[in-house]
Amino acid sequence: MTGQEDEAGCGHRRTASVDRRKVLQWGGAVGLAATGAVPKVSLAQEVTPAVAEKGFPVFEVAPLAKIEVGSEIAFQYPDADSPAVLLRLDRPAEGGIGPGQSIVAYSILCTHKGCPVAFKRSHNMLLCGCHWSSFDPAKAGRMVIGQASEPLPQIALEVSNGVVRAVGVAGLIYGRHTNIR
Amino acid sequence: MAPPVKVPLPPRNAQTFSTVCQFCIVGCGYKVYKWPVGRDGVAEANALGVDFRQPQAAFGKWVAPSMHAVITERDGKQFNIAIVPDDACSVNSGLSSVRGGGLAATLYAPDRPTKARLTTPLLAQGDGQKAVSWDEAVGLGAAIIKAVTDRWGADAVGMKFFDHGGGGGGFENNWAVGRLFFSGIGTRSASIHNRPAYNSEVHAAGDAGIAALTNAYVDAQLADTILVVGANPYETQTNYFLNHMVKNLSGDALSLKRGAFGAEAVEKGRMIVVDPRRTMTVAAAEAAAGKERVLHLAIEPGSDIWLLNGIARIILERNWHDGAFISQRTETQTFEAYQRSSLMMDRPRNEMLGEAAQRTGISIADMEKAAQWIAAPKADGSPRRCLMHYEKGLIWGFKNYENVAAIVDLALLTGSLGKPGSGVSRLGGHQEGYVRPPYPGGRPALNVDEAVRRGAVKLYWVGGCNPLLTTLRAGAMEVAFKERGGLVTASLRASQGKPIGERVAGVVEALKQGGMFLMVQDIYSTASSAYAHLVLPAAGWGETNLTSINGERRLRLYQRFMDPPGDAKPDWAIMALFAKKLHEFYRAEGNSLLANRFLDFDWASDEDVFIQARYAFKGTAADPIEGYAGVTYDLLRRLGPNGIQTPTRIVNNVVVGTARLYEDGKFATPSGKARFITASPPYPGYAAKVEAQRKRYRFWINNGRSNHIWQTVYHHRFLDFFNERMPIPHLEMHPDDAKELQIAAGDVVEIANDVGRVEAMAYPTDAVKRGHTFLIFGQPRGAAGELVSDHVDPATTIPYYKGAWADVRRIGPRPELTKTVSFLPQNVAE
Ligand code: SF4
Ligand code: FES
Repeated sequence: MTGQEDEAGCGHRRTASVDRRKVLQWGGAVGLAATGAVPKVSLAQEVTPAVAEKGFPVFEVAPLAKIEVGSEIAFQYPDADSPAVLLRLDRPAEGGIGPGQSIVAYSILCTHKGCPVAFKRSHNMLLCGCHWSSFDPAKAGRMVIGQASEPLPQIALEVSNGVVRAVGVAGLIYGRHTNIR
Repeated sequence: MAPPVKVPLPPRNAQTFSTVCQFCIVGCGYKVYKWPVGRDGVAEANALGVDFRQPQAAFGKWVAPSMHAVITERDGKQFNIAIVPDDACSVNSGLSSVRGGGLAATLYAPDRPTKARLTTPLLAQGDGQKAVSWDEAVGLGAAIIKAVTDRWGADAVGMKFFDHGGGGGGFENNWAVGRLFFSGIGTRSASIHNRPAYNSEVHAAGDAGIAALTNAYVDAQLADTILVVGANPYETQTNYFLNHMVKNLSGDALSLKRGAFGAEAVEKGRMIVVDPRRTMTVAAAEAAAGKERVLHLAIEPGSDIWLLNGIARIILERNWHDGAFISQRTETQTFEAYQRSSLMMDRPRNEMLGEAAQRTGISIADMEKAAQWIAAPKADGSPRRCLMHYEKGLIWGFKNYENVAAIVDLALLTGSLGKPGSGVSRLGGHQEGYVRPPYPGGRPALNVDEAVRRGAVKLYWVGGCNPLLTTLRAGAMEVAFKERGGLVTASLRASQGKPIGERVAGVVEALKQGGMFLMVQDIYSTASSAYAHLVLPAAGWGETNLTSINGERRLRLYQRFMDPPGDAKPDWAIMALFAKKLHEFYRAEGNSLLANRFLDFDWASDEDVFIQARYAFKGTAADPIEGYAGVTYDLLRRLGPNGIQTPTRIVNNVVVGTARLYEDGKFATPSGKARFITASPPYPGYAAKVEAQRKRYRFWINNGRSNHIWQTVYHHRFLDFFNERMPIPHLEMHPDDAKELQIAAGDVVEIANDVGRVEAMAYPTDAVKRGHTFLIFGQPRGAAGELVSDHVDPATTIPYYKGAWADVRRIGPRPELTKTVSFLPQNVAE
């Protein structure tokens, strides 16, 4: 359960965070191509067979070189209804990739009642304005304090050919009974 | 185990049950869905009535993974259970909290960590305990109870039991426990789960004629100002805070106020928080109301009486008190004594307030501001509505009786009772459901912890609590369990396989030598049960019907939806087994006097117990709040998640509840008028052993509960979500203090004083002042009680749990323990 593994030989640096939790919520076999909702998506098996087995799409978030300390990049994953954020922290993170394992991504739907969380740079936390649940992006989205009963779902990232890609989700996204609908 | 692909949805034909969270006093409504494994609902058709093919808006219905579990019934059949917050409940309006959101995760299942539940009676044997039948357990236990009472009298049977509502308690179990020990055995050596004696924690309120829970939760939406003393409702009364107080602070309740008060001036609420720490409650209140409408008074330990009476003195001198209320509703001579003694009217104002400021660490200006927010007339001249709440900071502070008196007096001074938007109430910890025959002892109550240590208690029966954890001088208690219990263990070992008569005689011999027979009745094994000679497995929440009230006296039925594990039984049924056995023993002897004390335990169901208690217990004049005339399970089933507020009465054959106490202006005293309770000057100073500690050690070890874990962590220690957050108790300390001692976040530290030592994980935070710390209370991996002296308030036998001083020393990092712990601040809301 280290924060990161090297997948020697294929050039992928890939987060291990998706293996972290005892309760994993892998999506079903519904391919995202079927929804046709999100651009820049290819079926996972084209890149990483291990992920493709689980039916998650691969989504190119941003070129690694463009992600600076302090970057916050909004995207949607695993489909257009699921807002997420990629952060480059000023510290190593559990499940982080890139320089110093500082790049992480999370669903921004609070696992309490589904309000959006926002990154508070002054405290390095993701904070929900509805009932003030806060989550630690360096600790795999575990709750700092608050009223959610699940961590914030962490989006598994990998770097391939200089591009950071989203390849899976650990934890169930708010409002869903399965991540891939 | 392969990870689950999804959380199954309840099908439309799932069984549904109405229940209430088993944890805190707030008592949020939850709905339980139950359906056979393999018969799931689908995204577009399910019992939640939500189309899960579509994205859900915020505040929608969702079954988080923590809200689902697969259970196995006694016959081996497996079911899915989903437990989701109930939108229709006025308490929480569909909100869960970190604790309630995980109710399903706490259910017994043979293939999850909750399999640790006790499933069968256990008897000490050899070096351990072996499973025995209920017949054997009850036969031996009852015989020893009888032998002890016959030889040493009823007081030699000691008990420490739950007295609460919610999980494990409730009217049914409380009644049965009281029947067995009080009207049955007749012992005075009784004590309540978290303290050494059988006593009210708010004797002063009772003496004033005021119950512990006076207001309705909606009053927190209607108040102009909410005063919170020694409590942290964001964390420990969560949905009362979020669903009621915050609505007031944010202005969301303005239309409700206008509707209720017509032309009266109304505005967004204000909040005053008296707490040595800047807690999440303060931060969240500021985020909701704006900083200028929240006043945080970071009080120094032991000075609450000074603060509350200082504020009262300002109110009186500014003429902001409610003269009409005082003259019509209170006993005049008590008001005179209050002014003279508590408010020290013979001392010049500035001298009194100056001393108050010096002792409390709170400026006179802030006291003036508090007085204004509590009692100054509003813009249109109408009286301000103030809702006053207090909890353990005051109750377990120094000193219990005068502390509680001071806030109750403040409410009387300002007429803050019996009208919308007012009240003076405990915020509460656990739920309530107290209904028992009268305790045979007097007041101040006998200190049972002390009697156990001293040897006067020969048989100690502990139910639903852990005296090695939630007690003061915990280390000394463990020595007693080990040494006194060890004598009995040796005797049982020697008599193994012998007839019961010989075994009992052997135990009595051991008791004569100073031994103690220990019985523990619980849902899990605990540090205490490890020393027990007899362990009795109890049913938990959801495994039996039970009824309880919440912090606004809302009575509801918590429906049974699953079997208890193994042979576990509801507490009331265990009590009945022992009572019947004792009846049999005394009858066989021809002692009908004693035999008759154990009659009428023939309950066929939980509702039988509920109804018997209803007839027997009408409430006393001093504490009427739990009377439930006319209420049946059937009525509660019909009333569902909102139930009915006690006390109830029957009007034209209809059961009518009480939203708010004292609207009729009649208080629970013989005169019907409330009494000011006086603190005599000089206000009490620290007892010698507390003062010695305070002088000798560097840090004040304040302690209490936190958001994430419930009480002694009895369920949560088995759940990763909570364990990862708090593997061992944490100690909040000021970053500068930590730095000085070269302590970094996550370092394990030793906290030690003349009473004992505890290890904890350092959590530097500016929530605490320099020289102050805050330790989690009741954590089995480090009990704050190990550090607390055995001083109790002589007037009430209530401990000064908050009053420990100790030194703190760095041990070093334990990364394997703390790697999942976040050390980000826990009091940030914007
Ligand atoms: S606020 Fe209290 S009663 Fe409500 S869900 Fe949380 S723990 Fe349960
Ligand atoms: S929705 Fe985020 S804290 Fe409630």
